[in-house]
Amino acid sequence: MSQSIGAGAIKPQARVRGKGRWGIGKIASYILFGVLLVTQLYPLLWLAIYSLKSNEEILAGRFFALPASPQWVNFTNAVESGNYFKYLYNSLFVTTITMVGVLLLASLVSFAISRFRWKYGPAVMLVFLIGMMIPMQATLLPLMLIFKNINILNTHASIILPYIAFQTPIAVFILSGFMRTIPHEIEESAVVDGAGVFRIFWNIILPVSVPPMMTVCILTFINIWNEYILASTFISSEALKTLPFGVNSFVSQYSVNYGAIGAFLVLGALPVIIIYFLLADKITKGMVAGAVKG
Amino acid sequence: MNKMNGILKVVMAGTLALSLAACGANNGNNEGTNTGTNAGTDNGGGKKEDITITFQNIYPDPTDPKNGMIKKIVAQYEKDHPGVKIELDSLNTDQQKVKLKTQAASREVPDITIVNPAAQMKPFVDAKLFAPLNDMVAENGLKDTFQEGILDFYSFDDNLYALPDGNNIGLVYYNKELFDQAGVKVPTTFEEMVQVVKDLKAKGIQPMAIGEKDTWTGSFLFMNVLLRTNGPGFLQEVIDGKKTFEDPAFTEAVDAFQSLIQAGAFQEGATSFDYNAGENLFKTGKAAMYYMGSWATGGIETSSVNGKVGVFKFPTVNGKGDVNEFMLAPGSAFAISADSKHLEETKDFLNYFMLNFPKEAFEVKGAVGLAQKVEGDFKAAGYSDMAMEVLGMFKDVKGGDLAFDNTMNPGTAQGHLTSIQNLFVQKMESAKVSKEHQSAYDSNK
Amino acid sequence: MNVLKVSKFTIALFVLPCLLLYVLLVFVPIIVSMYSGLLEWNGIGESTFVGLANFKTMFFDDAVFWPSVRRTLMFAVFSMAEIPVVLFIAILLNRYVKKPNFLVSSYFLPIILSVVIIGQLWKTIYNPASMGGMLNQVLEAIGLGSWTQAWLTDPSIAMYSLYFVALWQYFGYHLLIQFTGIQNIPADVYEAAKIDGADGLKADWYITFPMNIPIFKISIVLAFIGSLQAFDLTMVMTGGGPAHATDLISTHMYNMSFLSMKYGYGSAIAAFLVLVCLVATFIINFIFGRVERKYT
Repeated sequence: MSQSIGAGAIKPQARVRGKGRWGIGKIASYILFGVLLVTQLYPLLWLAIYSLKSNEEILAGRFFALPASPQWVNFTNAVESGNYFKYLYNSLFVTTITMVGVLLLASLVSFAISRFRWKYGPAVMLVFLIGMMIPMQATLLPLMLIFKNINILNTHASIILPYIAFQTPIAVFILSGFMRTIPHEIEESAVVDGAGVFRIFWNIILPVSVPPMMTVCILTFINIWNEYILASTFISSEALKTLPFGVNSFVSQYSVNYGAIGAFLVLGALPVIIIYFLLADKITKGMVAGAVKG
Repeated sequence: MNKMNGILKVVMAGTLALSLAACGANNGNNEGTNTGTNAGTDNGGGKKEDITITFQNIYPDPTDPKNGMIKKIVAQYEKDHPGVKIELDSLNTDQQKVKLKTQAASREVPDITIVNPAAQMKPFVDAKLFAPLNDMVAENGLKDTFQEGILDFYSFDDNLYALPDGNNIGLVYYNKELFDQAGVKVPTTFEEMVQVVKDLKAKGIQPMAIGEKDTWTGSFLFMNVLLRTNGPGFLQEVIDGKKTFEDPAFTEAVDAFQSLIQAGAFQEGATSFDYNAGENLFKTGKAAMYYMGSWATGGIETSSVNGKVGVFKFPTVNGKGDVNEFMLAPGSAFAISADSKHLEETKDFLNYFMLNFPKEAFEVKGAVGLAQKVEGDFKAAGYSDMAMEVLGMFKDVKGGDLAFDNTMNPGTAQGHLTSIQNLFVQKMESAKVSKEHQSAYDSNK
Repeated sequence: MNVLKVSKFTIALFVLPCLLLYVLLVFVPIIVSMYSGLLEWNGIGESTFVGLANFKTMFFDDAVFWPSVRRTLMFAVFSMAEIPVVLFIAILLNRYVKKPNFLVSSYFLPIILSVVIIGQLWKTIYNPASMGGMLNQVLEAIGLGSWTQAWLTDPSIAMYSLYFVALWQYFGYHLLIQFTGIQNIPADVYEAAKIDGADGLKADWYITFPMNIPIFKISIVLAFIGSLQAFDLTMVMTGGGPAHATDLISTHMYNMSFLSMKYGYGSAIAAFLVLVCLVATFIINFIFGRVERKYT
């Protein structure tokens, strides 16, 4: 099976096999899907209930218990005291810039690695591969020194830059893997047409690469959205803080306001879930055309 | 390459520049402010003399009265001193520790930060990161507001480096209702206490609560046992080379501590309960006794068991020790960065802050266990009977010991904390516990 | 063979922005960090160069180190072992469900919840029955009282309880990746196979598995990275306890650097972690290189 499928050139249809026939396999599968649905979705319901409980009810740790009276005050606390809107704005800002940065930088490099005729492509790839598994926390102290010297401590740049840097390896890994599968005839004909390398990149390769870019977006998002260690170390100003600060602000030395944390998390997850479900079709469909032969 | 190329190059470069500029866009006036604190001073149209003081603290919870109290003092100060902005960087305790250590490594300590007393702040002092506060504490009579001797825990070589927010003692809270139900009395010796545990257990009442996931909780209690079997200063004697952890007083303490655990004093799965979850058992009336620092008073007062709770001093062990010697817990303290660009202003602010601290704390009912003398009629201000009892106990204090990690170096302290936590999941020979401690100490000297 | 011949300047323009940022903020710091591993340093004051002494202590005298390595590697093995199961479920989904997107999206949700809340949730599940723990209560209710365990506080069990939470949380994440991989395999390949008589499981064996290998590799790599870096969940649920029974390389590193204030030693552990990562990267790439060659 060595056909190299131009990933964008085909529009694969979801194969429907075995539909309509109710065999044992199908029934068993549906039971499995149902069980999984419950175990994976229940936390959301649990979180919703949790966010309406009082601290004592939460700490009592009873799994099935409902709140005696819904504590809407948790939500007021989260919004007012937890600076929800300001932090949400900052989180969206930081995450968006990070995603754009990762996509742009990583796709440039991936394009170069996978399509250019040059000696050092594999070497550059290797350099990125090595960094893929380095934990962010291990670089906390050196980063602090670097940022102090270039004077960007306590700015959004001080978290956006490392976020981008740490996400690029996996992004390059996925994107270059994908781009390698695009048939060379495409740019051959483009070159014949007189298109320059930037036009090939921008008009031909990038549009085709939307699906794996979606994957990169999701991975980046997951890794950044709840990141707290770097953010809490490099950001000091109230005006610049992100959502995880809000969650952690309800943790004091000798007390934790769990209800408000729950409410804050509901509010923090809500926009994400809404966007996700609105885009779910697009995301999966986008990824459908996606990264085979990575 | 054709024209398109050049245009695209420009566009690319532009996009990159834009996205980087956007990163910086939110930061207001960046230059010229002080260490690590360059944000958002847009108010006042960017007056040149405006200075910003960064105040790193561990009171992030807006629903906690202490947070409101700090904001109030800060607001008042800012009002009185136009041109000075206090930027609060409020973090939870764990994160603040990591942040400060990272900052310390690159000498980026914020103007005001929080440290723990004695051994825990020594590395910072040794690295000359903090400014001496001797002159500052003399101003406006601030020094005299502090209790006798408390500042010693924050002084090195006759220089004072930090001002504490609290001074607490270890004691046992107990639920009178549950004691009555089981027909037990307040124990006066440790042996009675173990018996009380058994009696409570027999009646199906959870005898004690503890949040041992946090490890210092068990250590705090254990150290009180050791304070009884040895008298004060055991760890110092170890440091001075006069004793080792193989000392009989230490093994005796381990044995006594284990007898309490083995009697079933603590809840099932104690090592997965964090501080709050553990305390909550007591606060919801599910456990009869709770050993903790007196800072817990406020929280218990606002819980559902308020009014049913009494306190007693940690009893003697095998007839040894003096009940008026307590586990002492001088609180976390405010220190000023030696590299602060606005050293004088920062000192002035902290002076103001500490002068107002007790008064404001008194008002939000947080004045039990302050490091400063508090004027005011507690009873009339509505403090509970239990709070009054706790306050009374402070008057009996005749010395005692600091927590393990305030006396020993961090490496040994971690070894100790693990070793004690282990006792909650399995019974150990006391000699083996001694050995664990000694080897942790030897390898961290 | 790549066809685009471009000037050095163009290459630089494509590669340098990303490479510079990456080298400066990932590579340089980790090398600095590795150098710190040769110091005796509390992270604050003076430091002394001690050569490989930290590594010697780590390999021979640190009772916590090797167990934490073992647990971390076990974690990685479990995480990677989950992927074939996930792939199988993805195949079932693809075969039996007409509009699978809702299911896939729902399965994905736990990953976007903060670890703080995941930790809280699973604590209420794992707690002792007397403290309202759901799992033990259910076991008791269905007459399996003898199966109840101190899930998070029995040193011999606690780690497995944590693995399970991680597997649960990352299930949907990998499912999304695998599912999209399968969906991507063009229908005409299966049509052709059907004519040759390969259908159902047979088709999956001969088409889905081999064609999905690259996606499978992505998941494996992500699972591996995830488990080596796993930190938050352990911190939230057990803090590495009881008595180090759930310490991983990452939590051990954190404890040493920031709690025991042996930053030099912590950095040595970090250096070791990076080394493990390197070796693993090569092994994974090597294995998949062979597998891919075999099938393509």
